[in-house]
This record gives sequence, C-alpha cells and structure tokens, in this order.
Amino acid sequence: MPRVFITGLGFITSIGNTSVIVEESLRTLRHGMVTYPGFAADNIPIKVAAPVREFDTSSEDPEDWVIPAPYSVKREQLRSLSPNALYAMCAMQQAIADAKLAPEDVSNDDTGLYAASAGSPGILGRTLNKMNQQGIMRCHPLSVVASIAGTVQFNLVAHFKIKGASTGFTSACAASAHAMGFAFDEIALGRQKRMFVVGAEDGNVETILPFAGMRALSLNTDPETASRPFDKRRDGFVGTGGGAVLVIESEDEVRRRGVTPYAEVLGWGQASDGHNVAISHPEGAGLAAAMRNAFKATGITPADVDYINAHATSTPIGDVSECKALRAVLGEHAARIAVSSTKALTGHGLSLAGAMEAGFCALAIKRGFIPGSAHISELDSACEGLHIPRTTEAAQVRVVLNNSSGFGGANVCVVMKSVA
Amino acid sequence: MADTASLAQPASNPSRSFTPAEEDSLRESLRRCSPATIEAAISYRREGDTKLLSPIIIGIFERFVESDQRPRLAGDCDDLRVIEDLGLDSLTMMEIVMLVEEVTQTKIENDELRGLVTIGDIKTFVDCRARGVQPPAPAKTILAEEVRAIMPIQAPFLFIDEARVSASLATASYRITGQEFFLAGHFKDNPVMPASIMLEALGQLGVLHLLSALPVEAGKVVGQSTIFFASTDGVRCSRVCKPGDVLTLTLKPKRVKVPLAVYSGNIRVGQEKAVVAEEITLTFGLVDAPVVVVPATA
Repeated sequence: MPRVFITGLGFITSIGNTSVIVEESLRTLRHGMVTYPGFAADNIPIKVAAPVREFDTSSEDPEDWVIPAPYSVKREQLRSLSPNALYAMCAMQQAIADAKLAPEDVSNDDTGLYAASAGSPGILGRTLNKMNQQGIMRCHPLSVVASIAGTVQFNLVAHFKIKGASTGFTSACAASAHAMGFAFDEIALGRQKRMFVVGAEDGNVETILPFAGMRALSLNTDPETASRPFDKRRDGFVGTGGGAVLVIESEDEVRRRGVTPYAEVLGWGQASDGHNVAISHPEGAGLAAAMRNAFKATGITPADVDYINAHATSTPIGDVSECKALRAVLGEHAARIAVSSTKALTGHGLSLAGAMEAGFCALAIKRGFIPGSAHISELDSACEGLHIPRTTEAAQVRVVLNNSSGFGGANVCVVMKSVA
Repeated sequence: MADTASLAQPASNPSRSFTPAEEDSLRESLRRCSPATIEAAISYRREGDTKLLSPIIIGIFERFVESDQRPRLAGDCDDLRVIEDLGLDSLTMMEIVMLVEEVTQTKIENDELRGLVTIGDIKTFVDCRARGVQPPAPAKTILAEEVRAIMPIQAPFLFIDEARVSASLATASYRITGQEFFLAGHFKDNPVMPASIMLEALGQLGVLHLLSALPVEAGKVVGQSTIFFASTDGVRCSRVCKPGDVLTLTLKPKRVKVPLAVYSGNIRVGQEKAVVAEEITLTFGLVDAPVVVVPATA
C-alpha cells in the first residue's frame, strides 16, 4: 500500500493568512476573535466572531470585494466565487507554492481534489430574495455554482484544471476531515498520486448566526474569553471562516520530486454516534469508536501518541463528550498525551475545521511544538485526568491525532506521524 | 402571422412608466458602465428614442470585455462576434443579455439568443423589438458537409470549412491544411497561401451567401450555375498566411440586385488582418424554383 505524505499547506484563517503567521499565532496563543460588526444590531445576542483578516467579502457584488496582495482574481472567475471558494483559492495557491508543484503536477490524471464547505448561505439567500422580488430571470447565471454546497470544488477544480478525482463532503464540522480521510484512501488504494484536501467556510453573518437558534454560540461578549474549550465557564462556540488546503502525495511522488514532507498520514478512522441529529453522544461513543478504528487502521496504540488536536468547540456538552471518549480510549496514557483545542484561538470553522486543524498538526510535527489550549482559567472538572497544556510548548512530536465531529454524530480521527 | 398584432405594439411605453425608483434601480444595475451609458439609458427609458439603443448596448459590452479589447468597440464593431472575437464566454453573454433586457425592457428568449452572434445581431434584434417589428431571421450555421452540398465549387478548389450566413452578413472559416495542391509550387520549399486564392475564398463565401441566405421573389431561386466572379477593387494584403493558419472570412453585402451582388470583405487570422477587399462583385441570375410536389389534400 503506498504511503502518504503531507507536502504543502495553505491557510486563510482568522489567526493568519500564511503558514508563518499561523505558526506564530499558535506559538504565542494569539487568537482571531473580535467584536464582529455584522452582529452589532441590538437584537443579535451574539457579539463575537473570528473573521478572516485583510479580505472584505461583505458586499453583494464580488467586484467590490477587497482581496489583498498577492492575490488577484479576474472578473470572469470572481463571478462564480463564494467568499469561501475565494479563501480556498488563495490557500490553494499557497499550498501549491509550498509543495513546489509545477503546473503539470497540479493538472494531470493522477491528481485530484476533495473539498468541504457548507456552500454560501449568504449568496443563496440573496439569490432567492432576488428571485422572489425581481423574477427568476434576474438571478445571476452563476448564482447556483457560487452558493450551493460544492461551490469550493466547482471553482477550484475548474480554476486549477484538476483532472483526477473530485468531489465534496457534507458532514458539517467533520466534513473536511472526511475529505482528508477519503483523499488518503485515494492515494493508499493507488487510484491517485496526489490529492488536494480543502476546507472552507464564509464565516459571516449568514453562516454563523443560524447556530444561535440551537443555542450553540457563545453569548460571551469579550473576544478574549468567548472561545474557551475545556474551561468551566465556556458557553458555546465562536464562528469563523476561511480556507485551508493540504497537499498529500504518494511516497513515489515525494521521492520523484525530491521534497521534504511535513508529516506522514498513517491513516484514519470514522464512526457515527447513531444518537442525535445535532447533539453529541453523552459518552462520546462515536468519537471513541472513530479513534479505535484509526488505531486499528494504522497499527498505532495510545502508547505511541504524543499530541491530540481535539474537536472541542467550547460548547458545554460537546467538550465533555470528547473528554469521556479520550479517557475511554487512551486509558493509562490519558494523563501523558497532550490534548488541546486550537479552536480557542481560531474559533470553530465548521466544514473548514478538519482541514485547518490537520494543517496545524502538520505544522506542529514539522516545526516541533505542541499548541496550547488557550483561555482556560478554570479547567472543567469533567476534563480531569487529561493532560491539557495551556501554553504552547516546544516539543518533538512523533504521532498526532486530529479529531473532528459533525452533525448527525459523524466522527473522524486522522493519524499523522513525523518523518524525522 | 397571428403574432403580428402583438408585435406591432412597442415592447414598453418608456415615457409613461419610468418612476424615480426605477431610475435608481437602473443606475444601480449600470453602475459599472460609463456615465454616458447611464445617461443614455435613462434618456431612452424616459423618451424611448431607439437611436440610443446602439450606444447603450455598446456601453454594456464595454463594461464586460477585458480592458485590452475595449478599443475595438470604439469604431464600427457590428461584425465583431461576441465569443470568437471579443473572447467572452457564453456565461458572460448571458450576463450581458440580462443587463440589456433589464435596461431596454426587452425580452430575449433562449432560442432567439442562440441566433445572436455579433454585436450587430444584438443591436438589430433589440432595435426591432423596441420598434415593434419582426427581427430578421437569425444567421444560420452551415457545417462542412452542407457547404459541400450547396456549393457548385468542390475540392480541391473549395476554401470554406464552415460558415455562418444571414441576409446581412456572412462569415466563414478555412484552415490551411498544407495539402492544398498549389502550395507545392507556391512557393518552392515555402508554402504560402496565394493572395488570389484568398480573394477566391471571399468570392466563394459570396456564392454561399447568394445560394443560402438571399431572400428572392417567390417561385425563384439563385441559379447555381449562374454565379461568376465579376470584379474586385481596393484589395490590400497585409499578412502572409501559411499552413496551420485558420482564416476567418467576413463578407458584407453592400448592394444585391440581379444581376450583380456587391460585397465588402476581409480575412483575419486570429485578431490579425490578412486581406481587405473594399469591393467584390459577383454576377448571378434567378431561375425557377424546383417544383415541390404537395400531396393533394382538402
């Protein structure tokens, strides 16, 4: 079975728009939360979000969007983009440069792209309003591809002339972790030599605020503490958006191109709660099963693991479920293995989360650090028995797990390993 | 003909129905167009002067084409094909049509849209709609096989691969294959398409136009064996054309009346001008249309 390596990363996130700035943010625990202008209205009880910086995609007209250098997008490409597809396109450019891929490495029969985003509810809403108010024939001809789930891969596959496998995943907050897992399979099964894994979200009023109705968002108005996974006083997640791209390649391609990978992807596991449409299993049963499946698939045991990037979004119920799952699976190693949630810094990126955090894990492995779990002033007693570092530590990490859980009780665990 | 009555009504009554709210909405829709275009559109919607339609349509095109193509819209651009010449894709064409529809209060149906290829086609169509007259029959595409079926001229002396003809315009393409028999000697070890053959190709497009797109009196057709080259004037050649080049031929009828058809024409390779002929004249005659046997009913 071909081995699979991560060779390139790209980030457009609330904590940085390059790998260098993202690493700096992870090391210094610099968060991306702000008092979000889009939530200013008095009747919106949510005040904090973690928007992407430097870009401004708030206008209805993409030709008015602010796109920072070095990126520039032609009108004919812009008109089919959602904000999240734009972020993904920019992150993809970084990842291609980072992996030192030539145009022919990107566009060939053996290179594919798996993506995840929830589409663009903002564009969809405006299109439907226009349809109702001005008539069907006044809707922009590309409003469908700009708005429906799939907008990321539609745009990126066309723009980067991807010729291999391509599709999208819609398991919400586990979606880009699923994309990562199935992209790994494409290479491990010998079907593709290289895959781009993409996660992206608009991270604006329309993608974040609907979660207020299910009481999933933090009502904390202080950007410094609103996102605090594992803290006793956490009260919900803080929404974010952006784009993250990983390049993963077969061992043969890594050798042929003579590049040094960030890390090896050993494999992955998934399992479902079979419990509730939106609430995680109280004992974290599905997530525990996903981790066990990941161990089984990779031959790794808890004794090998150095760090786990938790899904923990800062919701009261979800974080506890994950802690229970971690204790159940890690057993005697639970007190040693470092566990942190980088969502304390980034906010929760929904379909973006899995790819973004797998990217963080790859950085941690290559650059030798364990990201701290920020903003914990008093650890929730439900998290006892786990080693949750509150500051980032320099450390040689060998084996890392990245957990993700989504609506419908979908759970994914991806296993990565140092190549040093 | 049942449609004539409704077509005789103007598509809208601009002066009466243009409210300040509609003006705001029109300005918003056109905000990336030049101020002159916006003012022309507002004036058109107030007063309904159809002379304004042409600058409005050109103004809308200017907003959508890449900036390096914009100068081409400044002069006579009626012959420019939206997709092939201006480099716009069919989705941009849709955007343009939607804006033209909104600004001029006309409606272009999907099947009508397929017949609109050049800027001139669109101008004529919108103008006819605004004045409440029937737009001309759309240009039709004639593929290679049909070209061979229509033409009295055949290989190895046929220099049209594919054509598009309407009463007012004929365009065609011809790819120089390198297998043309005369290239063996023109020139020695240096195959160049002879200028005389390029003029011949334009003349052949005139033949195709006469045989396939000319409206003539009932019961008559242009006789296939009546067409001959008569004269040409104002010919300038400015580019050497070689095997692999795709010639784009354009022919516009200036005067067509038995026994003479006078055209102006040009040949381009991509955006480069290769040949201009200010005048190409063919002679032709009419013959009785073949009798169509109609089954005797009622």
